[in-house]
Amino acid sequence: MLLTLIRRELLANLMTFRFSVAMVVTLLLVVANTVVLITDYERRLISYNTAVKQHHARISDARTYSKLQNETIVDRPPNPLSIFNAGLDRRLGNSIKVSHILVPTLWDTQSHSADNPFLNLFSSVDLIMIFQVILSLLALLFAHDAIAGEREAGTLRLTMTNPISRPVILIAKYISAMVCLILPVVMSLLLALILFSVSGSIALSVDDWLRIGGILLTSIIYLSVFYLIGLLISTITRRTATALMLAMVIWSTVVLIYPSLSVFAVNRLWQAPSRLEAAYGEIEQIWEAFERERINFLKNDGVEGEDPNFNVKTPGDGSVPDWTNSTRTILQYFKPAYREMTRIEPDSEPQIPYVKAYYQFSEPQRIRAAERTWLVRQKTLDQIHVHKADVAKILMRFSPAAMYDLATEAWAGTDFHSITDFITAVQQYRQTIIDYFYDKGAFSSRQWFASDHGIVEWSDLPRFSYRRTNIATSVQHASGDIACLLLINVVLFMTTFLIFVRQEV
Amino acid sequence: MIWHITKRELYDHLNSLRFAFTTVLIIALMIVNAIGYLGEHKAQSVAYQQKVSESLDKMRSNADNLYNLLIEGPGNLYKKPSSLSFCASSGEAFIPESAESVGRSWGLTVPGHFEAWAIWRMQYPQSNPNLWDIMPDYTNVDWGAIISVVLSMIAILFTFDAISSEQEHGTLRLTLSNSISRGTVLVSKFLAALIAIGIPFLIAALINLFLLYTSGSIPLGPSEWGRLGVIVLTAFVYISIFLALGLLISARVSNSSTSLTILLLIWTVWVVLLPSTLGALTSGLQPTMTSNELDRRQRDLSGNLHNQYMEFFVIPSREIPATKETLLWSEYLMEDAIRHERLNEEHLNAQIAQIQLARSITRISPASGVRYAIESLAGTGFTRHVQFLAQIPRYANEFRAFLIEIDLADPESPHAMGPEEGTSQKPVHFESIPKFEDHISFSGAYNAAVTDFMLLLLFFVVLFAGAFLSFLRADV
Repeated sequence: MLLTLIRRELLANLMTFRFSVAMVVTLLLVVANTVVLITDYERRLISYNTAVKQHHARISDARTYSKLQNETIVDRPPNPLSIFNAGLDRRLGNSIKVSHILVPTLWDTQSHSADNPFLNLFSSVDLIMIFQVILSLLALLFAHDAIAGEREAGTLRLTMTNPISRPVILIAKYISAMVCLILPVVMSLLLALILFSVSGSIALSVDDWLRIGGILLTSIIYLSVFYLIGLLISTITRRTATALMLAMVIWSTVVLIYPSLSVFAVNRLWQAPSRLEAAYGEIEQIWEAFERERINFLKNDGVEGEDPNFNVKTPGDGSVPDWTNSTRTILQYFKPAYREMTRIEPDSEPQIPYVKAYYQFSEPQRIRAAERTWLVRQKTLDQIHVHKADVAKILMRFSPAAMYDLATEAWAGTDFHSITDFITAVQQYRQTIIDYFYDKGAFSSRQWFASDHGIVEWSDLPRFSYRRTNIATSVQHASGDIACLLLINVVLFMTTFLIFVRQEV
Repeated sequence: MIWHITKRELYDHLNSLRFAFTTVLIIALMIVNAIGYLGEHKAQSVAYQQKVSESLDKMRSNADNLYNLLIEGPGNLYKKPSSLSFCASSGEAFIPESAESVGRSWGLTVPGHFEAWAIWRMQYPQSNPNLWDIMPDYTNVDWGAIISVVLSMIAILFTFDAISSEQEHGTLRLTLSNSISRGTVLVSKFLAALIAIGIPFLIAALINLFLLYTSGSIPLGPSEWGRLGVIVLTAFVYISIFLALGLLISARVSNSSTSLTILLLIWTVWVVLLPSTLGALTSGLQPTMTSNELDRRQRDLSGNLHNQYMEFFVIPSREIPATKETLLWSEYLMEDAIRHERLNEEHLNAQIAQIQLARSITRISPASGVRYAIESLAGTGFTRHVQFLAQIPRYANEFRAFLIEIDLADPESPHAMGPEEGTSQKPVHFESIPKFEDHISFSGAYNAAVTDFMLLLLFFVVLFAGAFLSFLRADV
């Protein structure tokens, strides 16, 4: 009996004008946008590959160990799944300098592919946005007259004259509508995947397939929410016209207006307690302490004066004075110190041991100061920027559309967590470089500051490798939103069910 | 007669659920907008003044020596903030607020320890100002968004059943049995809906302006009122487009539920998705240099120049008249600055052309058209930025010409601007240095808005004619 009902409903839904129009519109938009996004991805990939090559070649520009701090730049590869949900993948910086004098953070990133910054004026439409807007509308259009329409036409009473229980009717309607809604989702995803394979530039791993599966699952749960909202409206209203009106009001608010409104409000009104000045002072103190220690060492090292060059005579090149690089707004503060002496006069030779001892002392100190700076910096910048975004996300989540967006972002690996994972990987790479320096005894070697006895051979320098966040972490980040969406489903279904069972037809 | 039917329709609207919903929604959004932009203009103006005076202070300290001015240049040039940024600010996050000039971009040491600094040049920001924005994607709740998204949706909700539901109920036949022409019915339905949407919109807009004005957030002079008036007028034309569309579909489709379905799908595609999709799609038609390419061309340029002049690198001197070497140095440094500036300009113009093309094509969607019109009138967004950038090269040339003129007036200078030895070292009278001031030209803004306005009017006329014809031929 259930099957008969489902078949009837399914046919009734599939034959409707709205279904065919929505299907065609969805597929057209999916094709157009996927092509755009794939081209964009390919451009970013080329840009990434060029950047990696250039940045790798730059390492050999460093003739001394100390020069490495100026020449190591690592890049974040573009994420192919950003085609599903662009998230932050395109927007945030994707190349970052690694050095022992500064612990890299998100705020130190630059962009290797800043083609045309004005292009951001056109916000990107990804697959998830198409589903989010058009298919939720379709779900409501299916649902608004599911009960109210049949009641108006009197067919509901007719159906009930058969020995069919009300739950069966409801379930049959739900299942058939969901099949109709899943159809465009699956077809869109297939189309997108076909376009992927045609382009040939996108290789998907097993992990990626699982992620796409996750996106599909989340999409189904999301559409189910909207179908059930429509069904509830349809049950409680007498007339289809009223039901439709109410459904549209809810749809426009929940999908289009509320998410933007909440982020806008947070962005405008949220005043983070700014400790920027205090933190900057703290950081300055850290470096003043470092400076004191350094001067102190120079005073007591047995050579007159406080010159870190110890009067080593180098004919005309390669000496870069110590300076401070600071940007208050992002609390960037570091003191670069690199030397590249290509030739040292023989009469300076007795000074060399002092120079070596100096760097052996100063560089570990510098590393410690950088790490202490990072502790202050991370905390403060998180308070200013990250908390604000978190508040916005929490407020946004009152809309299922936002939950869907955030959950799919996590699946695609384009959310904030995935970007911070990259930063963590870069920080680990920095540690690897420092360990490499210690292994080589680089700080106390002549090659730290001079290349006159041969330039540094970088062949055994550990390379940076970055793997996208593993899927278990992504599941973890998506699971909260998915659970919420499921909960909304259950509540809506139960409410509709209880109302429908007690209702007169 | 028209007025009579309009009045009847209007009463119907005023009593409906959708009218209540519309009023609450528009007023709520306008209040949120006002609260969001309280104090915004003041803060922006203060920041602008501060940055400009920082820039001028730097210039003043460089003015003690003409050579310093030549090397450091005029500093960063800032764009004046707009007093109507609450009307349209969605693009502001992606558009830089200044044009940068760089001084001492490189220094050259040749054997013999001579150091030459590069002459200043305009660089224009090429980096993405949005690099650290970790907020979720959102649309600013400004007038542009309220008008383009919310009002158009409301217009559809007011007209989707204008004809089809009367057909369903048979009341249309009743009306037409009187001696009333179909045209009259259509026009009065249109007018009634326009008034029913226009009233809450105007009230909400006035509340919004009242809040902003009384809190001292914005000045409201004749220029502001004029521009706001044109914005409201544009909004009415824009609403009319969607009213006409609603009437058209409603006249063609006998069932109001089908009518709404079609309208919503058209609306979603036309208003929400098409502007972005088309923008992204068409910007691929005219790609610009990537940053890597630009880097390469910059390096090639420097390298070529360097090779061309390298053999002449002999220490310049202060001899008067200037020696051949000093003149060559001057030529080299000048060429370097001007050619790099030209390359940067070329890159910038290509970027602008790419966006202009994409923008003209996105005008297929009236939602883009209305946004562009409001942006131009509000003095924000891309049009404004292009107007700002247009003033830069003129100023840069003026500044350069001024330096040369002052140098020529100094009898102790060899008049070979570029190397320190060849340039006047005299202090420059700070007041006489040309200063950059961003001139906002609203005649330009009106001109830019007129095109969009005409286009919107065209959309309306076509759709209304369509609605009229369909209604004439419709069975009742």
